[in-house]
Amino acid sequence: MAALIEVLAAGLFHAAVLFLVAAGLQLVFGVQRILNLACGSFYALGAYLGVTAGGLALGAGLSPLLALPLLVLAGAAVAALGPPVERLLRLVYDRDESFQLLLTFALVLMFQDLIRMGWGSQPQQVEGVYLAYGQVQLGAARIPVWNLLVLAAAIAIAGGLGLFLQRTDFGRILRATAENRRMAASLGVDTGRVYAAVFTLGTALGGIGGALVVPAAAAVPEKAVELVVEAFAVVVIGGLGSMPGALAGAAIVGLLRAGALLVWPELELLAVYAVVVAVLLLRPAGLFGRPAA
Amino acid sequence: MSPPLLETYRVGRRYGDFVALRDVTLRVHPGETVAIVGPNGAGKTTLVNVLTGLLRPSEGWVRFLGSDIAGAGPVRLAQLGMARAFQLVQVFPELTAAETIAVGALAQAGRGRRMLASLGADRALRARVEEVAAVFGLGPVLHRPARELSQGQKKLLDVASAFALRPTVILLDEPTSGVATADKHGIMATLTEAARRAGVQALLLVEHDIDLVETYATRVVGLRGGEVLADLPVRAFFADEEVTAALVGRRPARGAQG
Amino acid sequence: MRGGALLAALAAVAALAAAPPLLGEYRTTLLLPVFGYGVALLGLNLLFGYGGLVSFGHAMFVAAGAYAAAVVTGVWRIESFEAVLLAAAAAGLALALPVGALCARYTKIFFGMLTLAFGMLFHSFLFKFYGLTGGDQGMRVRRPTLLGLEFEELDKTAFLVGPYYWYCLAVAALLALLMWRIVRSPFGLALRAQRDNPRKAEYLGVEVRRTRFVAFLVSAAFGAVGGAMLAVPTGLADPELAYWTHSGTLVFMTLLGGFAHFAGPLLGALAYVLLQDWLMSLTPYWRLLLGAVLALIVLACPQGLMGLPALLRARLAARRRRAAAPHPAPAE
Repeated sequence: MAALIEVLAAGLFHAAVLFLVAAGLQLVFGVQRILNLACGSFYALGAYLGVTAGGLALGAGLSPLLALPLLVLAGAAVAALGPPVERLLRLVYDRDESFQLLLTFALVLMFQDLIRMGWGSQPQQVEGVYLAYGQVQLGAARIPVWNLLVLAAAIAIAGGLGLFLQRTDFGRILRATAENRRMAASLGVDTGRVYAAVFTLGTALGGIGGALVVPAAAAVPEKAVELVVEAFAVVVIGGLGSMPGALAGAAIVGLLRAGALLVWPELELLAVYAVVVAVLLLRPAGLFGRPAA
Repeated sequence: MSPPLLETYRVGRRYGDFVALRDVTLRVHPGETVAIVGPNGAGKTTLVNVLTGLLRPSEGWVRFLGSDIAGAGPVRLAQLGMARAFQLVQVFPELTAAETIAVGALAQAGRGRRMLASLGADRALRARVEEVAAVFGLGPVLHRPARELSQGQKKLLDVASAFALRPTVILLDEPTSGVATADKHGIMATLTEAARRAGVQALLLVEHDIDLVETYATRVVGLRGGEVLADLPVRAFFADEEVTAALVGRRPARGAQG
Repeated sequence: MRGGALLAALAAVAALAAAPPLLGEYRTTLLLPVFGYGVALLGLNLLFGYGGLVSFGHAMFVAAGAYAAAVVTGVWRIESFEAVLLAAAAAGLALALPVGALCARYTKIFFGMLTLAFGMLFHSFLFKFYGLTGGDQGMRVRRPTLLGLEFEELDKTAFLVGPYYWYCLAVAALLALLMWRIVRSPFGLALRAQRDNPRKAEYLGVEVRRTRFVAFLVSAAFGAVGGAMLAVPTGLADPELAYWTHSGTLVFMTLLGGFAHFAGPLLGALAYVLLQDWLMSLTPYWRLLLGAVLALIVLACPQGLMGLPALLRARLAARRRRAAAPHPAPAE
């Protein structure tokens, strides 16, 4: 029982982070119709910015308990890359999807080395934060408070994102643009501005996801390409472009991985992809996706 | 009378609560050119999709040359001998005109799957492609990619590739849409002549242009609200003022119509 | 035109056959992967250039071929390279049957994502099932015999830059010939037709999904044979071969050469191998430069090296027209 609760907690922590990355991926796909292979690169950059900011702040005597807001800010700083990268992608909006995909792959290659240039290849972590927050006792199970905070932060961001998309004018404009680019443009929507904003938001989400992990797990350059694989599983299961899909997909993948690690570690990713295949066979558009026309 | 080529019996098609087609029974016999007319939303597209095996009817049945084709799909239909040309021009942008025609000709010959046979060395295929191209006046552009052809040539190529299937029945969905009025009769004349030469036994025509319907159809099926309002020989159809007013709006209707 | 292509192909094969003594050992070793990659990319481009399907999982077949080579030579102790190549093709097909059955239902972005996902599934199988695959250590590929000849008197390098080089050249040439036939067959025409307009193709009797599936199988077999050819010089089959970034690199190589031309993938394999070697000698951050090159190709020269002459000609003609016209010419 205790083991089960611990696995559940670990799975939800993982799911929370995955959701942030996948939400960014879904936003950008939903509006721009571009599948961003570099989403993992933004995640890794967020992680390294978190390492640097965390190291500096803690070195300057900041209380580790302030790490959460600090890391969220550090991760969100990746958003600065959003506008220039979007500017580059804009050159291929009307090109074949394969070229869009390849351009984001070029970004993956470049960011991989930029990260190496900035931070080297050694694993890096923010020390001390994870322990400072301690653990809570739930029956016989011990759950790190940090994990719960990250989960809460992800839920808050998900809620905020939902409100933003449903209730604000800009959210409505964004959804309208996703629905019909040309129609939105003819109604006077500045689609260029919407694209830049959406891409920047997506970048920030990925960055925050990366930054929130560094107290718990070390940042390594390889994470940039590893994460893409899980994020893709999330969006395939949930349905491309769907926000509720990102939420459900992230929960499924996060919990499945944690569960597989407990039962049969070899099956980790295999279990995730078994579900991907099952979803594709039964609901090709994903759990929350609209079937392709 | 010889047995019908294409036949529907009490076909209905619903989308949820919306009834797109109701109780449609019709037969197409050899030698006929049947025009399907009706206002927008009358169910023409649904009927055409049922007739070409794309949609499975909710009620009734549809047969082509005696076999049930409900939802059979375009590939099966092409194999059985029914071809379809679309309202919007459909070509393969990067394929040459000759290659486009060859796709249909190879399928018709049952050789479309071969992996090691050389296209270039296939004399019979080349002869067939040239024969079809000649009918449509595409000889001079045979080796140009479709994207380089004029809009009119693309239209002809679209139809020519369908004729390469040697179809028994061909369905032409507004074959002259997007073509200048002056050329419409020219295109229709080419098409009907080609159909005769290719051994097509019956034509189905979905057409808004009443002039063309009156000139080329032998029979007119009028749809409205998903039902067959009239199924008459072309003369009788145009002689009936009430029917023409309701279906093709030749006379201004008294009430406002959508 | 056809005669020209044949002549160019013969000239290329002759030049490559004569190259080893002129290039010396190091540069000849450098050329070895060109054959393996060339074969794998011919397969990839059947899907990409001819079928319009961009696979981000093709590396799984390259890996399958490499592991097949390891199993045949290392576990079964069969040394014949002909047997290795057959086993690799069989392994590629066996893997492609289930994967292709699922992926052939999709196109475009979905196809790319799915192939990526399956590639990573295979990677994690190779990586995690230590007992079967050696995990991250990979599996050793032992030196094979060629046409039953052992070449015992040659050391490893002499074997690779000598008999193995010419053998791979011959295999690559034969498989290129086979692919040349395939893309010029009715099947190849159907594949291009469904790429351009799947709906129209169906109405002309093309079984679109079946066509894609068969192309997927052929492409996988080529990928696996290429993988086996690549594994002999390195002597190793390791899971990183199946990683999705390797798949991305394969697509990159094809694009570099030119996906719209039959010879594009072959030229791409050669150009990429040389480019990577050069960039690696310049800086440890060669991926950054490689990424920049890829971005540049995507943006400025999507037809790759094969399309470069046409691109330059068009640019030149446009400049000349501008110079000749007294007023700015209207946009076409």
